[in-house]
Amino acid sequence: MGRSTTSKDAQALFHSLHSAYASTPTNLKIIDLYVMFAVVTAVIQVVYMAIVGSFPFNSFLSGVLSCVGTAVLAVCLRIQVNKENKEFKDLPPERAFADFVLCNLVLHLVIMNFLG
Amino acid sequence: MAAPETPQSSTLRQAFGNVLSVFILLLIGILAFSIRLFSVIKYESVIHEFDPYFNYRVTQFLTKNGIYDFWNWFDDRTWYPLGRVIGGTVYPGLTLTAGTLWRILNSLNIPLSVETVCVFTAPIFSAFASWAAYLLTKEVKGVGAGLTAAALLAMVPSYISRSVAGSYDNEAVAIFALIFTFYLYIKALNTGSLFYATLNAISYFYMVCSWGGYTFIINLIPMHVLLCIVTGRYSSRLYIAYAPLVVLGTLLASLVPVVGFNAVMTSEHFASFLVFIIIHVVALVYYIKGILSPQMFKVAVTLVVSIGLIVCGAVLAVLIAMVASSPTKGWSGRSLSLLDPTYASKYIPIIASVSEHQPPTWPSYFMDINVLAFLVPAGIVACFLPLSDASSFAVLYIVTSVYFSGVMVRLMLVLAPAACIMSGIALSEAFGVFTRSIKFQLPGVSQNSPVNAGDTGNVMQNDVVKTEKSEDSLKERPSRKNKKKEKDNVERASVVPQTEKRLSVLPLEASVIAIFLLVLLGAFYVVHCVWAAAEAYSAPSIVLTSRSHDGLHVFDDFREAYGWLRHNTEVDDKVASWWDYGYQTTAMANRTVIVDNNTWNNTHIATVGTAMSSPEKAAWEIFNSLDVKYVLVVFGGLVGYPSDDINKFLWMVRIGGGVFPHIKEPDYLRDGQYRIDSQATPTMLNSLMYKLSYYRFVETDGKGFDRVRNTEIGKKYFKLTHFEEVFTTHHWMVRIYKLKPPKNRIRGKTKKAKSKASSKRSGTLKKNPWH
Amino acid sequence: MAGRKFPTVLLLILNLLSFLPFLTISFSPDHPTDRRILVLLDDLALKSSHSIFFTSLQSRGFDLDFKLADDPSIAVKRYGQYLYDGLILFSPSTDRFGGSLDLEGVLDFVDSGHDLILAAETSASDLIRSVAAECGVDFDEDPSAMVIDHTGYAVSQIEGDHTLIAADDFVQSDVILGSTKIEAPVLFKGTGHSLNPDNSLVLKILSASSSAYSANPASKLSNPPLLTGSAISLVSVVQARNNARIIISGSLDLFSNRLFRSGVQKAGSSYKYEKSGNEQFVTELSKWVFHERGHLKAVNLKHNMVGGTDEPSMYRINDDLEFSVEIYEWTGSSWVPYVANDVQVQFYMMSPYVLKTLSTNEKGLYHTSFKVPDVYGVFQFKVEYQRLGYTGLSLSKQIPVRPFRHNEYERFITTAFPYYGASFSMMAGFFIFSIVYLYNK
Repeated sequence: MGRSTTSKDAQALFHSLHSAYASTPTNLKIIDLYVMFAVVTAVIQVVYMAIVGSFPFNSFLSGVLSCVGTAVLAVCLRIQVNKENKEFKDLPPERAFADFVLCNLVLHLVIMNFLG
Repeated sequence: MAAPETPQSSTLRQAFGNVLSVFILLLIGILAFSIRLFSVIKYESVIHEFDPYFNYRVTQFLTKNGIYDFWNWFDDRTWYPLGRVIGGTVYPGLTLTAGTLWRILNSLNIPLSVETVCVFTAPIFSAFASWAAYLLTKEVKGVGAGLTAAALLAMVPSYISRSVAGSYDNEAVAIFALIFTFYLYIKALNTGSLFYATLNAISYFYMVCSWGGYTFIINLIPMHVLLCIVTGRYSSRLYIAYAPLVVLGTLLASLVPVVGFNAVMTSEHFASFLVFIIIHVVALVYYIKGILSPQMFKVAVTLVVSIGLIVCGAVLAVLIAMVASSPTKGWSGRSLSLLDPTYASKYIPIIASVSEHQPPTWPSYFMDINVLAFLVPAGIVACFLPLSDASSFAVLYIVTSVYFSGVMVRLMLVLAPAACIMSGIALSEAFGVFTRSIKFQLPGVSQNSPVNAGDTGNVMQNDVVKTEKSEDSLKERPSRKNKKKEKDNVERASVVPQTEKRLSVLPLEASVIAIFLLVLLGAFYVVHCVWAAAEAYSAPSIVLTSRSHDGLHVFDDFREAYGWLRHNTEVDDKVASWWDYGYQTTAMANRTVIVDNNTWNNTHIATVGTAMSSPEKAAWEIFNSLDVKYVLVVFGGLVGYPSDDINKFLWMVRIGGGVFPHIKEPDYLRDGQYRIDSQATPTMLNSLMYKLSYYRFVETDGKGFDRVRNTEIGKKYFKLTHFEEVFTTHHWMVRIYKLKPPKNRIRGKTKKAKSKASSKRSGTLKKNPWH
Repeated sequence: MAGRKFPTVLLLILNLLSFLPFLTISFSPDHPTDRRILVLLDDLALKSSHSIFFTSLQSRGFDLDFKLADDPSIAVKRYGQYLYDGLILFSPSTDRFGGSLDLEGVLDFVDSGHDLILAAETSASDLIRSVAAECGVDFDEDPSAMVIDHTGYAVSQIEGDHTLIAADDFVQSDVILGSTKIEAPVLFKGTGHSLNPDNSLVLKILSASSSAYSANPASKLSNPPLLTGSAISLVSVVQARNNARIIISGSLDLFSNRLFRSGVQKAGSSYKYEKSGNEQFVTELSKWVFHERGHLKAVNLKHNMVGGTDEPSMYRINDDLEFSVEIYEWTGSSWVPYVANDVQVQFYMMSPYVLKTLSTNEKGLYHTSFKVPDVYGVFQFKVEYQRLGYTGLSLSKQIPVRPFRHNEYERFITTAFPYYGASFSMMAGFFIFSIVYLYNK
């Protein structure tokens, strides 16, 4: 009985999640896609590291952290440009995006430095 | 600080206030700079203490050879014969800062010597630090508190002690970096701007470059984040302030050679990763909560929590396994001694031997932060009044730094800015309350005008104060800041109902008296700070002075000795001394040393400690095996210089005994007492340190009276067989001995032996130690 | 320009001046054989009774200066410069030297690298004994004791007290005693001495036989003699750490014409040698002591990277390097290549990390090559060569070894390519995302 309610709840949950998500604007969806891409890449690298060992540790670190960093920054951007988020009403999305670009530049510069 | 009020007057006043606060900040900067110049004025423009000499030497190398050579610098003049990879073991922030400063000045055709730049780096950065404190406090509690805090920080004795001109040490720039990083964090937290988060990471990078104390930041900020989450204050601004900092900060920290993979491998940093994971989970929860209906959310919670717990458990298990697999649980000795104050004295004598790693005494709190100690609790209360993210951070900062400073004297330095910020808040709040009380009780003023009246009154007060002597700068500051505070209040007043304001009104007389007392308190603080800066903390310790009835005595023995070494010994000669003097010897005498103040190799230091506590012959053998040519000891017995080698000797014994068990501390103590008089143990009297310190000492006054220990020495007449005295400075503070070469011939039986023991002659010759 | 030139000239003159004293000293590293020798005698009669020995020295080019031991004009040193390169003390009974010379003076003479022949005798003075003792040789404390050997004595016409002994227990060293074997025993009459076995600098050249003992021949033996058997040394040499050489003999007669000339028949042996071994023994020994033999020098200590020629100021870990040194031996008139197969070099930092035997090209050049160990620090090339009879060679040269520079590590490791790929794809992703995002808006 409990099991069936949970599964039903889960179904309902997924349904409502899906419907709620469907209503998000496209630009947010693009960001989500981007985040997913980064996270998946990071996971692949961790698995690879588990297989071949952690020898070029700096490369591994920069590889994974570049993905995590990208994801985190994208999430930050998503938070800022989200219209429903009332905290950032006075922050124009253009400004948010400029900050995002700056942040990414720093990130990738560091990654390039650390990779070799 | 935009508070729309009555349009015209408010904008005017705002502009005026801005200009005034900039002007005040400028004054604070000048104050912070100039209060640290006592050492230059009273002594001369020299580098102080021990570590700064190393930094100075590194900076010279940097300016001469450029950054890449510096990065790859393998120094063969220290830690002979191991050498030291300077580039990979030094925090480069300070050196790079001074080097860049020097380069900029030179390209502007201002030809200053590297030494001058080094000497003045610390005062310059303390000015920056007080500005950073202004910014931070402004974020926490507004402009008035900021100005007060900046003024307080500009002359807090604890910070002065580390940043007088010539004290060219990491802390000098690190405190600025620390405060500025905190400011940027708070700023990012308050605005939720990615831009500030990036700046924050870069500032954190600078801090990592500068000082090992960066671990304080990387632990304090996660603690604050965690606190916010637990108390339900999570916001997406928190996420933006924190998550990029962790990723970028970790990456940047790994770029600093001395930190390297430690940034991800040691336990000091794990807290940040754990909180990083937590904040993601929390962010996800909040996001889902945002897009779902409350009812569905409940369902989701049950699901997510059950799954999340499993995931969290797994992650935790992995983390714990990683931590437990390393021998010290991944913590470095210094961090461990922070968490467990008794750790160092139990296991690592080398950390415990440094006086600045000892717990402070109560008087040192009063000496170093003075009246701030009483204002801090008030500041904490003020922070709770409207508790914001920023003020909760300030509270957390002060609480942790109080704990750390209680463990190590050195970390008093971390406490000082926190105390200044808190006191700044407390003072400005207090002034705010009192002036408001006065304002509301001024007769014949309408509801609206008191603000203006009070304001003009304050301005007038300012003018009065301005005419006072400039050294009473604090008096000016609080009163000026009143005006700021006023505005601040006004700012808040738009939110707080007027009636509430009325409730907090105090009697007029009480307010006036309280203000007067506060000003007095501030004046007292200023007097104390100036005294501390002028008298207590300006001595360069390389040049000593003493005052006696017949005037001022200058003891310049150290430079005399190093100068002697520089001019009278071969370039490749090795000089052994206790590690305290290693940096100075390499920097000032340019000779190779066996150990120095960068105590990275315990065994090597223990070897030197063993040699110092061994009898002459064994010591000679140890030193000879290290190719040592000269042995340098510091001896204060003639002039009463207390921090000499005899007083440090027990640490040498302890450190030596920690590695070489044949050195036993009880052998050097008579009934548990350390003494060098006739009651001293034979082991003590025969140790090399005793002999080198007191050799020929009896010739000075005929009795051999040691003015540090206040006793007559135990063994007065003795000869050295394996060492010869080559140089003793004017006041006997530094004595340099040379190792005698092995004897050219091996002697047979001496005549004495022959005449004494002609009847029972052993087939062998008299045992000669020289073999 | 002129102002610059002047100090240069001055410097040059100063340099010349400072070289001047060196030119006047004949004992120099380049020419180690002694030239001027001071001979101190008890009695000028010794000059004729030991003339063969002195003549042989003079004929080899030595400049002998005979003085009575108590001559008040004796001076070995003037203005800090030694006037002599060698000292022969044939004055066993002197209690104090004349002039400025004393015990300290003799020892300083030795410690500044000069050579000494010391001959004692029965009832030698305390002064002579102290000189010997300072060099590590202990004469029998009984001043009247002589070495007596009832089985190894030299047969002579009159049956004596067996104090003239025929010793043939030489040290086996071609360097000290020459390459020709000394066939005839050496006649010895005098006091014996003992050495500390731990003393590595002294060496027994001629030992008594196992039946010898040291006692006063005139008195009856009351308790067992303290010095017996082959522990008694008759003639010893010392090579001090600064390579000063000393001969200490318990017999002055050893050098005398009488014993040089006399035939020798060892008791118990029927063969009678026409001539004792004394002359050969003493001559060869004097050649050694005055550095006509057994003096080595090492020059041109060099090291460089394999393939390079210059001497770097610092090596990197795991570098391959070549090391070479030239060793020559002095023959009394010229330097000739020294040939041996046991010269070793250490690459040393607190303990030898590399120990290699050097191979020689028979022309004096010794060389080897090895890989620098994977440890950084300040290393030393050390050549320690101590062989019996030869002067010791002890060379060291300091060289730091540094770790890899930051750009000397391996780059572009194959296993790391996925990481590189990920990083670059992130960058590419960032660009694409930016474009898409901006375009979408």
